[in-house]
Amino acid sequence: MPRSSHLWAALKFIAPLALLLLLWELLIRTFGVSPRVFPDVESVARAGFESIQDGSLLRHTGASLWRVAVGTVLAILISIPLGVAMGVSPAVSNFLTPLFRFFSVLAGIAWIPIATLWFGYGFGAITFVIFNAVFFVVTYNTLLGVASIPLPLRHAAASLGASKWTMLTEVLLPGALPNIVTGIRTGLGFAWRGLIAAEMIATNVGLGYMLFLARDFYRTEVIVFGMVVIGILWLLLDRLLLAPLERATIERWGMVRKA
Amino acid sequence: MKRLVLKDLSKTYFDPYAGAHVTAVQEVSLEVKQGEFVSVVGPSGCGKTTLLNMIAGFIPASGGEILLDERAVDGPGPERGVVFQSFALFPWKTVLENVAFGPKIRGLSRTEREKIAREYLDLVGLANVAERYPNELSGGMQQRVGVVRALANNPDVLLMDEPFASVDAQTRMTLQEELTRIWQERRPTIIFITHDVGEAVFLANRVVVLSKGRILKEIEVTLPRPRAWDLLTEDAAFKALSGQVLQLVRSA
Repeated sequence: MPRSSHLWAALKFIAPLALLLLLWELLIRTFGVSPRVFPDVESVARAGFESIQDGSLLRHTGASLWRVAVGTVLAILISIPLGVAMGVSPAVSNFLTPLFRFFSVLAGIAWIPIATLWFGYGFGAITFVIFNAVFFVVTYNTLLGVASIPLPLRHAAASLGASKWTMLTEVLLPGALPNIVTGIRTGLGFAWRGLIAAEMIATNVGLGYMLFLARDFYRTEVIVFGMVVIGILWLLLDRLLLAPLERATIERWGMVRKA
Repeated sequence: MKRLVLKDLSKTYFDPYAGAHVTAVQEVSLEVKQGEFVSVVGPSGCGKTTLLNMIAGFIPASGGEILLDERAVDGPGPERGVVFQSFALFPWKTVLENVAFGPKIRGLSRTEREKIAREYLDLVGLANVAERYPNELSGGMQQRVGVVRALANNPDVLLMDEPFASVDAQTRMTLQEELTRIWQERRPTIIFITHDVGEAVFLANRVVVLSKGRILKEIEVTLPRPRAWDLLTEDAAFKALSGQVLQLVRSA
């Protein structure tokens, strides 16, 4: 893409957001909305500035991202081998598919009560929630990815002399990769929502906690600022890391699944 | 002398729709000598693809045996190269990597295997697309890659399963002529499955007509080589042979 169309894309992305900011400020002023109901733009910006200066934003964000990283990496490390193992056998994958589909949609927030019972409040419970959100979706997608590799490809590799290990590393994993990446993207989306919810209940540091704490002091400007940060962080993660990764694997191989 | 021998080869399987056992291949015995080009022709459902899948080792036989060089075939192996109707190229590998994959499995170094792959790509005029991915190539080009990927592994037998059935008619003729040229230059042993009578006769030294899972007849093809469609289309001997095979296939 040439530079000018990048600029155009950015502009198209920003324009509605700018409009929203304008409307927001206009409504607050026109109706004289109390800061205890909803803050104005300036105080949100100030709250943001303060949280950066006193280091609380960094602390909360750091805690949240660390939990996401640990939960996600653990989940990926376990779910990919598991998904491949289940996907190579049609009988096993057919049998387990409903189970994983069920847990994929259940993933996330629903695990919070049981997680706090098992792990107590704090890092363990929240990481468990994230782990679950990623684990089931990635396992399911890996299974699906491996199972959907056309049989002739596996036959071709076998009749070229591929060992089981070669089959795994050269055929099954690359063949399932587009699905795996899609799974990670979906799972992280679940995980991010689950994280914020879990942090409101089960910890004393993190972005979700920052929001919930501010509520106790009627600091609507901190709440809104936190929401903005949560949204922006996800957008950055998704747009700059996950979406390009997904596009790269799927498009380069011409493996866009025709639905 | 490496020979492929099929002895009373049979395949029955359970058809859940019919609710009964179906015999796809019935006591087929066949001998293919080294360097021979054998076409197996028959209408759809005659068991020709099942036959090839058993020789390739993709499915087990229900009865009889397959011997390659006196040794029983058990599962897929690099001594039996396969060319698929669906090409079956690895979409995540470049053309070069696809062709070099067999040599890579054999443990050849990158330099060695890429040298081999480039030689074979040269053979079908595709050296200039070595770095492309399969989906960037036309169907005809993809199947050329499929053929040389199997050849680059230097198999004892090359098994081809209706390899030109999914390309357009013009390309198909070109591919057929290229295949006869490659066969003349390198003399690989080829078993070629097809439902196209003209193709079977054009390519082979021997045509095996399959019907309802059994060999109906074997016909020697002694047409002179090199063979080209320009010469053969109006050739009396070719027409007579094709007519004979066609009659057998239609009577089946």
